[in-house]
This record gives sequence, structure tokens and C-alpha cells, in this order.
Amino acid sequence: MREKQAIEGTYMPMGHTAAQRAGTGGLTATEHRLANGLRVVLSEDHLTPVAAVCLWYDVGSRHEVAGRTGLAHLFEHLMFQGSAQVKGNGHFELVQGAGGSLNGTTSFERTNYFETMPAHQVELALWLEADRMGSLLTALDDESLENQRDVVKNERRQRYDNVPYGTAFEKLTAMAYPEGHPYHHTPIGSMADLDATSLEDAREFFRTYYAPGNAVLAVVGDIDSGQTLAWIEKYFGSIPAHDRKQPPRDGRLPDVIGRQLRQVVHEEVPSRALMAAYRLPHDGTREADAADLALTVLGGGESSRLHNRLVRHDRSAVAAGFGLLRLAGAPSLGWLDVKASAGVEVPAIEAAVDEELARFALEGPTPQEMERAQAQLEREWLDRLATVSGRADELCRYAVLFGDPQLALTAVQRVLEVTPEEVRAVAQARLHPDNRAVLVYEPTGPQSDAADAQADENAQEQETAQ
Amino acid sequence: MTDAAVVGATDTAEPTMHFHPQPRPGTATPWDFPAPAREVLPNGLTVLRCHRPGQQVVAVEISLAAPLDAEPAGLDGVATIMARAFSEGTDKLSAEDFTAELERCGATLDAHADHPGVRLSLEVPASRLPKALGLLADALRAPAFPDNEVERLVRNRLDEIPHELANPARRAAMALSAALFPADSRMSRPRQGTQETVERIDAASVRAFYEAHVRPATATAVVVGDLTGVDLDQALADTLGAWTGSPAQPRPVPPVTADDTGRVIVVDRPGAVQTQLLIGRTGADRHDSVWPAQVLGTYCLGGTLTSRLDKVLREEKGYTYGVRAFAQVLRSAPDGTGAAMLAISGSVDTPNTGPALADLWTVLRTLAAEGLTDTERDVAVQNLVGVAPLKYETAAAVAGTLADQVEQHLADDFQARLYERLAETGTVEATAAVVAAFPADRLVTVLVGDAAEIVEPVKALGIGEVTVVSA
Repeated sequence: MREKQAIEGTYMPMGHTAAQRAGTGGLTATEHRLANGLRVVLSEDHLTPVAAVCLWYDVGSRHEVAGRTGLAHLFEHLMFQGSAQVKGNGHFELVQGAGGSLNGTTSFERTNYFETMPAHQVELALWLEADRMGSLLTALDDESLENQRDVVKNERRQRYDNVPYGTAFEKLTAMAYPEGHPYHHTPIGSMADLDATSLEDAREFFRTYYAPGNAVLAVVGDIDSGQTLAWIEKYFGSIPAHDRKQPPRDGRLPDVIGRQLRQVVHEEVPSRALMAAYRLPHDGTREADAADLALTVLGGGESSRLHNRLVRHDRSAVAAGFGLLRLAGAPSLGWLDVKASAGVEVPAIEAAVDEELARFALEGPTPQEMERAQAQLEREWLDRLATVSGRADELCRYAVLFGDPQLALTAVQRVLEVTPEEVRAVAQARLHPDNRAVLVYEPTGPQSDAADAQADENAQEQETAQ
Repeated sequence: MTDAAVVGATDTAEPTMHFHPQPRPGTATPWDFPAPAREVLPNGLTVLRCHRPGQQVVAVEISLAAPLDAEPAGLDGVATIMARAFSEGTDKLSAEDFTAELERCGATLDAHADHPGVRLSLEVPASRLPKALGLLADALRAPAFPDNEVERLVRNRLDEIPHELANPARRAAMALSAALFPADSRMSRPRQGTQETVERIDAASVRAFYEAHVRPATATAVVVGDLTGVDLDQALADTLGAWTGSPAQPRPVPPVTADDTGRVIVVDRPGAVQTQLLIGRTGADRHDSVWPAQVLGTYCLGGTLTSRLDKVLREEKGYTYGVRAFAQVLRSAPDGTGAAMLAISGSVDTPNTGPALADLWTVLRTLAAEGLTDTERDVAVQNLVGVAPLKYETAAAVAGTLADQVEQHLADDFQARLYERLAETGTVEATAAVVAAFPADRLVTVLVGDAAEIVEPVKALGIGEVTVVSA
């Protein structure tokens, strides 16, 4: 499964909004910790006979070192190549043969693995996850590494290098986070670094980061919590604790970039494009919620200010919008993406964008705009909660990034407490030209190369299977 | 390969975990695909409803019998523009106000046109369903189709075309349709029209298409979600029930014919680092009794990472991130005739295009010669049947499948029955179905890639005459 968008606006519902009834509002979670340090979050829901097992490891591309970009993601692929008791592709074969689905993904800040199972097969998923957490190196060999290196390089070609604008996110990230910063490179990594990665690099990566104390396991759905916890103790409990991990390099940066960074790309793309990355507050802060609302009002849907101005009124753009990449260990990133209409020059679009942002910074959102933005963010949250796997992922996210899964239960309340003035203030402080990296595309050659406008939306997260 | 590596771990001299045998499954809880209640409102609108406890985002699918083959000659794309123009205002609200009101409900509304008809998909939190249904009904009952907004949609659509042509997967799909179907078939041409046809569309042609093909008597609404506390009868009566229109004669459905003579079309993209491949023909749709066996066999061929194609092309050779085989229904008729696109799709790195295709054909020929194994069949059934409760966890997934059934003139219990039929399908039937679906000498191959690099190796494979077209 891949994230649908860079917008990760996911919030719990509260009383006066659309989700008044039981179900999501009644979501509860219990927390446990094994002696080896593995944290466990359980949440029961018996409406459908399915259950999700979700395991987050607190390691992502921000932990990678120079010359080994892409290692966290390549390693995620290796986790599906067998372990002591699981032969070859057994993880996929056993889960799919049990009527389950599974995948893994890697982002800047974490790596996750998940199985969604018919409820009576949940023990199998726990056994499989424990087996690879405790014994992956038993099975890891050169043949697997060489094969998955080629697969990942083809993943990179398919998703980035062979589609127009495919490397835009990578370019924006490299500008927005300076050289040497842990978020300067994206999870897919470079071809050269993928080529350079050795079996010993992979082994050392596992020994360092794949420890029970560096993971959170959530099980959500039609489960018996007592029985599930007993299985977890049985399968994971004997995995030895170890603590070799060093904290990631500090990702903090000044609140604003302080000047406008700019790169013009001349490539064979089907239309001009204006993209930009704005440096925004860290996830987990009230200011990040305010920024999410600001970006939603400005560029989150077909009633947003930028859509109305550029697509509807000026007709200068085919599509115009903002996405938010929430980050906990570094400033979040507000991502502007405008694809120009035929014959329209970028400066005209840029001037209109700047005008809209400046006006918003001055006036703030209208009451109607606040209502719409909150309703949209709430529905996105309800969509995440509609599946057991979505719920398990949220609980892991708050546990790993903020130390407390229960924070998921109050997240929407926090966003609804944000005032229009706070939305205006964050826009004024952050959404201006001196706090952005700009990427301009100018087409060259015959009009023949391109992807749909969303091609690079998934760039912040890699996954094992299509 | 994994056994030999056990040695590798011993040098770490680390304490190891205690291993347990693989657990056995518990007792399965029975699960059935939801059965909808069907009714016809006084205005002729068919309604399917389905209560799904806990699904707070309600999904509404509207299916309109406005197929692409009904588009007037030379106006390909008018159905698409009409679908998009439904959210450009009504007799009560301007285009901007309509969109703002929908978003105020926390709703999303998508619309698109395809061979069987036009579909509108609404998703909204249950408490705001009546209000959103009102907006949707106004859009269907009294769309404004303002001249300036339709003109903007047409220009916007024209601006999208270069993006589509440059997308390797989209370009491949267009080339395959053009090769398979006769030029006078609507299926041979892009669903959303071409530069030449879209330029001719205006508000008058959109309105004419609407008046000819959109009416409650030939429309179906599917409503799925947690309907606790929602007075759906009243909400429907106040909204979609108030839509009026004349009765209509059913449209004849043109038969689907395709030329699957084995051949290769290379769409040239100089410098491409990968080759997008799409290998296909047409075959049985869901009405055909072979469908469950075809589903099963196609899954074994290329349904997942552990199917035959990826086992070689990805997990052994590393040529690709993944190759999939699938069957996608194109159009079905009430009399039980119809066709599906059967295809294999994926992308492989440019230097390995020839070797990857050689392996792919070897997989097909081996399958035809030796057949599937019982184990493969069993695992496939366990997966296809077992994932049903996961696959249909959300209201949107259930609504989409129910609306597909309506569009394809299938019974409302088709999907529910399909699981029983899959479980009854044997290895021999699944083998016969997949071999008939993907015969090695009757496949049209489209390759979007660097012709200078790939044409010679592909010619050497002997999978058909090779033609190069420019992108």
C-alpha cells in the first residue's frame, strides 16, 4: 500500500463534527511492553472478521550515511527474502495463501511492515514478523541482495527516472534541506549508492536498527487482546534485546530558509511547471496543524484559493494545489505543484501565487474556508480509520514519532482548536518567497515525454511490492 | 539458497531467539459479500442500498447508461466533458458555490466516462449524506452546463492530452486499443477523446448528450455505508427521487471484435531507461461460465509477486519492479455477450527488454505445455476467496463492485456467488482457461521504449511482425 498523497492530514474526530456516533469515536487502545523492549499497542473492533498486524521500526532514510542512500529501503526489500524458518518468498506465500495481504514501506523517518489477515490467521502474521525480527541474518545472502538491488533500481526507474517530472520531489528536497542534512536525500536513494551497498552494510544495518526496543507492534481488529498478547510474548519475547542504535543526526533547522532558492530544469516534459517547497513547522506542534489548515484553504481541493484563481479564473494552470509532508524530526514541507496551461509563462503563474499567498497572510481564512478545510481534513481521517490497517498505522505513527499512541485519540480535537488567526499567522511567518525552494520546468524538444500530474506524489515513501 | 547462508549468522556469536513451529489457523468466521436491497423509485431510478456497520464514510455510486459508443461521430470526449461538468453548477448554485458546498460537507465527488456508461462517485460522512445527496441530485436533475465553464473544461482537457501521451502506461494502453479494435469501433479510440475531437465540444453538444442519454429511468444509485440513524427513504425521496425524465428504449450494444494476430508495436521514446510493456487481446467477460477459472488461472500467471511471471522476471532475474496479468471487463450486454481486455503489463529496464520478453514467452509456453499445479491452484483459491473480507472492508469498495455489476448487467449476487464458484474450480479448468486467455501466438505486444535499443532483440524473438511508431 502506498500513501495516496503527500498530504498526511489525518485527525481523530471529535464531538460536534461529522463523526458523532460510536465506531471511530469509540476507538480505544491498550499499551504493553515486553521485557526486551518491544512496545505493543492493541485495539479491538469486532465488526468485520479481519485484523491488521503493523510493525514500525524507528529507522528511515534519515538514519542513512553518506554513500549509502537508499539502504533503509533496499533493506526493507530484503526483509521479504526469508528468515530462519521462512524459505525464500515465504512471507508473501504464507500470508497470501492464508487470504491476507501484506507490504512494507520506507519513508524519511520510519520503516513499516504490515499484514492484513482474516481474523483467524492473525497468529501466522505474528509468527512471521517475529521470525524475521529475530533471525533475518540467518537467511540473508548475496543472491537475495543482488536480486533485490536490481528490483529496487527498476522501481526507481519506473517511478522516478522514466516519468516526466519524476525526480521533482528529489530535487525540491535536496534544495529545502541543505547538503549534509539527514533529509537532504529521499528514501529511494541514488543508483550509485544502491550499487555500492554491500552484504555487510545490510547486515550491519539489521544489527543496528532491527531491535525489539526500536519497534512498535500494533494489532487492530477482530482480536482477543489477552490471547493476542500471549502470542506476542510467545513469538517475540525471546528475541534478545540489543541497543546499538545511535540517534539520527539532528534535523532541526532555522524556522525559515531566509532567501529564495531556485532551480530551472530544461527537460522533455509536456508542459511548464512551477513547484516549490516551503519550510513549515515540525509535525506534532500546534503550528503544524495550523499550517495544514492553511495549505488546505489555499490549495487543497477544487474550492481552494489557488484552484479558483489559476485554474478557474486565470486559466493559467491545468492543475494547482498544495500538499503537506508532515515530518517530526525536521521541518515539515509544504509542496506547491502547478502544471501550466499551454502557452502560459511561469512568471505569470508565480506572480498570481505570490499575490494569493500575500493576501492570505494579511486576511487569513474566512469562516466558510475554515469550515470547509476542517470538514475535508476530518473526512481524510475517517478514510484512514475505515480500515483496520489504517488504524494500526496511525497508532504506530504516534507511538514511534511522539512516544504515545494515545495522542492519536485527541489529534482532531487539537486541529479544531486552531483559530483562524493562528492559520493566518503561520501563513504570514512561513508562506512567503524567502522561505521556499522553487523548481521550474521548461520543456525542451518534441512534446512527447510526461506522466500524469501526480507522478511524483509518492516520492517520500517507498514500498516493497506494487 | 537460504540454507547455505545459515553459516553467515554464526560468526556474529549472538544469542538467538527461541523458535516455535508455524502456528495453525484458528476457526474462520464466515463472511459473505454484502447483499444489497434493490428497489425502483417512482421516477424509474433503480436504487441498491447496503448497510455496513462502522463505515462512517458513505459511498454513493451513480451509474448512467450513457456509453461512449453513444457519443456523436467526431465528438469523442463529450461524455467525459459532461461528466466533469456535473460539478460546474446547477439551477440553484454557481460552479464555485456548488464545489464549496460539497467540500463543506466533507464530501468528494468524482465523475468519469467509460465504455459502459458514465459514473459519479460520491463519498461523504454519514451525518452529511442527505445534504450531499441533495447536491448530487441537483447536479443530475438540473445541471447548468454554463458556456464559459464548459469552454474552460474543454481547454483544460486539451492541456491534459500531452501529459497522457507522455505517460508510458497510458500511451501503451492507447496503442493497444488502436491495434486491437477496428477503426470504426469506439473502443479503438481514446476514452476521453483526442485533440481533434475535444476541440469541437461546446456547451450545446454537452447539453445535447445529456438530454439524449441521462434520465432516472436508465440510471442506478448504489448507497453503501453505516446508515444507522439516516432516514435514507426520506433523503432519497427529497433528492434523487425528485429527478424526472422520460422513459427510454434500451440501446443496442455493438458487438466487440478484435484482431489478436500476434504482432509487436514499438512506440518510440528515444532515451527511455525502461520499456513499458502491455501485451493483450480480448476474451471472456463475467457472463461467460469460464470467468472463475479465468480469474484463477490469471492470478497464477501474474496476480502477485509470487505468481509465475514475477517469480522469474522479478524475483529471479530482477528485470522489473513487477509484472501483472489481469482481465478488465470492457463492456457487457444484457443478453450475456461482452468482452474483457486480457493483458500483461509492467516495465523492464531497457537493456533487458529482449531477455525479459523471451522469459515471459517461456513462462507462457511452459504453462501451456505443463499446466498449473494443484498447489498453485489451492494457494490461489485461498488467497482470492480469503482476501474478500479485507478487500471489501470499506463502503467505497462494496459500492464500486455493486455498481460494476449493474453496469455489466449481472445479478446483484454475482460477486457473492463468485467466491463459491472459485472454490469449486479445479486445476485442469484453471489451466485451460488461462492458456486459452493468453495463447503465445495470439497476443498483441505494445512496447513503449527506446526503439533503437529494443527493436532488434525483439525481432529476434519471433513473436510477430514489429512495427515502430513515433510517440
